[in-house]
Parts: sequence; C-alpha cells; structure tokens
Amino acid sequence: MRLGIIGCGVLGKFHAPCAVKAGFSVVACSDPVKENAESLAAQYGAKVVNDAMALCALPDVDVVAICTPTPYHAAYVVEAAKHGKHIFCEKPFCRTLKQCEEALAAAKKAGVKLFVGHVVRYFQEFCAIKQQIADGKVGKVGTVRTYRGGQSPLGEGAWFRDFEKSGGVTLDCIIHDFDWLRYAFGDPERVFAQDLRERIDEGIDYAMVTFRMKNGIIATVTGSWAHPSGFKVLVEVCGDNGMITFDSREAPLASQLRGDGGMAPGVVLPASPVNDSPYYLEWADFKGWLDGKHEPRVTPEDAVWAVRMGLAAIESAEKQQPVTF
Amino acid sequence: MIKLGIMSFAHMHAYSYATAIAQVNGVELSAVWDDDVARGKAAAEQNGTKLIADLDAFLKSDIDGVIICSENVKHRPMVEAAARAKKWILCEKPLATTIEDARAMVELCKKEGVGLGTAFPCRHVPPLVAVKNDIADGKYGNIYAATCTNNGSYPGGWFADEALSGGGATMDHTVHVADVLRWMLGKEFTHVYCENGNLIRTGIGTDDFGALHLEMEGGVKIQHIASWNRSKSYPTWGDVTMEIIGEKGVVTVDAFNQKINLYNDDAMKAQWVGWGDNSDLGLVQDFADSIRERRDPAASGIDGLKAVEVTVAAYKSAKSNQRVAV
Repeated sequence: MRLGIIGCGVLGKFHAPCAVKAGFSVVACSDPVKENAESLAAQYGAKVVNDAMALCALPDVDVVAICTPTPYHAAYVVEAAKHGKHIFCEKPFCRTLKQCEEALAAAKKAGVKLFVGHVVRYFQEFCAIKQQIADGKVGKVGTVRTYRGGQSPLGEGAWFRDFEKSGGVTLDCIIHDFDWLRYAFGDPERVFAQDLRERIDEGIDYAMVTFRMKNGIIATVTGSWAHPSGFKVLVEVCGDNGMITFDSREAPLASQLRGDGGMAPGVVLPASPVNDSPYYLEWADFKGWLDGKHEPRVTPEDAVWAVRMGLAAIESAEKQQPVTF
Repeated sequence: MIKLGIMSFAHMHAYSYATAIAQVNGVELSAVWDDDVARGKAAAEQNGTKLIADLDAFLKSDIDGVIICSENVKHRPMVEAAARAKKWILCEKPLATTIEDARAMVELCKKEGVGLGTAFPCRHVPPLVAVKNDIADGKYGNIYAATCTNNGSYPGGWFADEALSGGGATMDHTVHVADVLRWMLGKEFTHVYCENGNLIRTGIGTDDFGALHLEMEGGVKIQHIASWNRSKSYPTWGDVTMEIIGEKGVVTVDAFNQKINLYNDDAMKAQWVGWGDNSDLGLVQDFADSIRERRDPAASGIDGLKAVEVTVAAYKSAKSNQRVAV
C-alpha cells in the first residue's frame, strides 16, 4: 500500500512511522511549507509534490493521508476519492456538517474507504475502561466525566488559534472525548456548553460541556487550551456498583531536564510508553480494513457524528441554551 | 464562656460540630434539644451535656446561640423559634429548600436583632482561603471560568426523602461551591443550566447527580458537578475541587487533598486519612466570635439565601431543559 501524505507538519511527521509500521510505504509528500515536505520525503525516500491536488491524482499512490488544518480536509477528501484513492483523514473530519456530507458522499460514490483518526478509541487506558464497564465491574453506568487539555497549540500560521479554522478546543481537542463517549455509551440526546472562544487569539480557550445521552447517562467534558503549560487527561465513570478513575499525570515515567531541552526548565514531562502506540493501532486497523480482514473501529458515520456533537456544543455555547440532536 | 445549644442531630454534621465545640476555647455545649428525644438523649450523653426535651425550656435556658442541624425542611420553624427567643443562630446548609423560606428566615432574624449564619465550613478550609487571597491579590488577574466538583457518597436516610430534604445531590452539593465562588470572586450568579437525575442508586426517590452550568456577573462561566456518586469502595467520602482559569494563569485546588493513604486489611479497601485543618473549628470559632461581637457569622443568612437561589434555579432548569435566570 503506497501512501501519499498531505500536510507534513507535526501530525504528518507523527503518522508516517505508524503507517509504515502498519505496512504502508510513504511515496509522496506535500506541504505548502516546502521544508516540511522535503524533510519527511527524505526520510522515506518519497517524492515531494508541491500541489496537494496533484498528489491525489498520482497513479502510484493507493492511499492519501490528510493531515492538514481542518478547513482543507473536505476538498482533499473529495479530490482523493475522485481519483479512487482510499483516505486516512485526521480528526475532526471537517469544519462544517455540509463539508462532512460532501466528503462522505464523494467517498461513497467513488467506493473508496475513508478512515478518520479518532485515535482515543485505540488508547489502551480507554480500552481498559470500556472493557471493565462491559465486564460489569461498575454495574450500571450513570455518570461519566472526562477532561482533556493543557497548553493552547499554535500550528502553522497559528491556525489553531483561529476559531473559524479550528473550531477551538471543542472541535479540535475534546472531539476525541465526544467520539469516545458515543462509542462507549451510545448517541447523545442533547448538549449544553460554555466556552471562552472569545479569547482564543490570546491563547485561551476552555470548554465545559454536558451531554445527556439517549440512555439517560449524563456525561460532562471539560477541554482546556487555557493552561500556561502541561497536558492532562482525566476520566471518571460512576455506576451503581463501583467507579473507574484515570489520571494521565499518574504516569510510569516523569522526566525533568536540566537546561532547557526545548522546554522551559523544570517542566516535568510524564510519559507512558507502550509497545504499540495507539497511533500505530489505528493505522493497523485501517490497513486490516483495506485488506478486507475486518470492519474498522471508526466508521465514516462515526466521524460525522463526532463533528455533529462538536458543532452542537459550539452552537449551544453561542446560544446559551441546550441543543437537541 | 459562650454557651451553645444544638437543635436536632438529624444531620450527621451535628456530631462533628459538637466535637468541635469541645475543642474551641471559650465555648461550651451547654444543652441539646431534638424532636427525636431518644436521638437527642444519646447525643447529649455522648457529648457530656444535657438534653432539654421541651423546646420552650431549651430556648429559655441561658444558651447564647444555637446550631440547627435538622432535616432541611425543618430549618425554618427552628430558626424562627430560636430568633424569637433572641438566640444567635448557625443553621446547617442548605439554609432552606425554597427562596420564600430562606427570605423569611433572614427577615425575621433581622427583625429580632439576632445574627444568622449558614454553616459553610469551606470558608475555613486553608487551601480555599489561600486561593481566595491569591485571587484578591490579583495573582491570576481577571477570572474567566472555573470547573468545580462537590462529589460525595450517598448519605441515605432523610436526605433521599424530598419531603424532608427538598431535593437530592443537586441541592446538597451545589450550595457549598456556590458560596465559595461568591466569596472568592465577589460576584453574584445570573444564570443556571442543569441536567440532573437519579442515575447511580436508582429508585432512591431523588436526584443523586447534577451537572450545572452557571454564569456569574461579568460573564464568568462555571461548570459544577454536584453528586452522591462515590462508590462504597471509594477511599474517601468525596471532594471539593476547582480549576480556575484566569487572565494570568490557572489554579487548581483539591480542598481536602491533605491526606495519607491507609491500606488496612480489616477495611479491605484503600482509605484516605485527612491530616488538614478541621474546618469545623473555624466555623465554631467564628460563630462564637459573632455572638461576642453581635454580628452575623462569616457566611450569613443572606449568603445562605443566595446559595438557595442557585439550587432553586437549578431544579427549575433541570425540569424545563432551559437555562434560567437566578
């Protein structure tokens, strides 16, 4: 399986080795920042293609990976589908539901496989939580709480801090939690949210979201792009016979560098190494689907649902009233 | 010596207040009264004081002030009886289950010239006091948002009987944090949205979880979780936590996270043993000082009323699925 990567910034560079480990070979790289495309291409002996649309048409590319800022996802999905390429697309699938529909329709029409990287479904701790619930260890689940976030990301041209482009911490970060909640607990009934999007250009966004799920469960999600440093993930599941808690700060490794090492001195970096990174596992799942071995853990419809949940939270925060699905 | 009486041991906090009274200098528990005479007698014996079974006789005794720890709906008649007897009053939270009751209690105490306080011990928890002082000193600049929790274990008994409690976890575990936020930020609540329900121990007859979205003056945005969702196997009773987002930084506070971990083979579960300061001592000390100084306690009846307004709005919102004004 020959892979062309569109968007060779942080995520493109991050995905490439995971895709290679899963059995893909990187053959083409494209990025408006030429050095990004060149350095990644050099690593894998791939070619640099200046025009990403042209990459989608290359006869020696079987699969296109789209790792660009969110607003460009839909156009590349449509183009790649038009040329019969299978598609890996970073989350969130698209910036608007209209884009989601267009992109999904294009993939369906072309009969290509479309996989959106909702990687939290592959995180070992989240799998363990889901398994314990399935095994009945907390009884009937009533309430769920998740927290994700830390420092505000910048991205090329600070696009993360442009709400129109990124959708803020809600659409870009805690969409992970929204997707996992739906994966683990079914469809939502309604959502209420508050956020600080008006401060996003100062490097501050913070989202506080409550879902009432169709089965009655209340799930609250907090997302931060408001911290001066650090990152944490918290999960709490309460049932009628027990509880599950997870705190990413309780990691097996914690390093603290003398001197700056690229970070402010004294910052503690927790790490939790595993043999198979969740990012590799999602690529392996996608590969298995392409090889006809199994259905994927994340369907294109799941990815649209995650965007729907994110946009509904954004709409609620704007209106300050709940939004029903 | 300030002489205090406790009215009703229906709320378990009465026992910890009695213990605190014994530890604060210049204060004594001189009598107790309870509408459950057997419970009052046992509590009096346990705390080395006397039971005065007749309410009029209790209120005519030489006590200076009363701490009221009845079921929530009985707060109003007990506060009114004590106020008419010119006793200083510290009432367990929530001050009342309706705005009408809370307002009537505040007004009567004012008319009778007695101090009325609401038992909000969080105002005496050093980590929370430190955050309040840092905010006041401008350490975090303007405050934009906060995520808070007041989780707890299921208290059972009358707490789950709405005829006596007025409501469940949404009421029981919103008032502390509502008061802390007003006290820390010096702002009033303007709006509430709430999703709640009986989600953990189903069939208890009241809500045991509430997820609230609050707004304060100036547009400060707050998420708060009020729950009785800690399992029996959880290592402690619950928590009060806050993550506060400010202009100049972020502060997180886990108010009771001053603990050691205990692994005891009889309990067969991990336990957290707190070593932080006992906030009940501060509560009792302030109540005694308020009697000496003829003023309201630190958290007054008005503060109790403001917290009740938030819970009433929360239930209204949960019923209508609409954000409502406080």
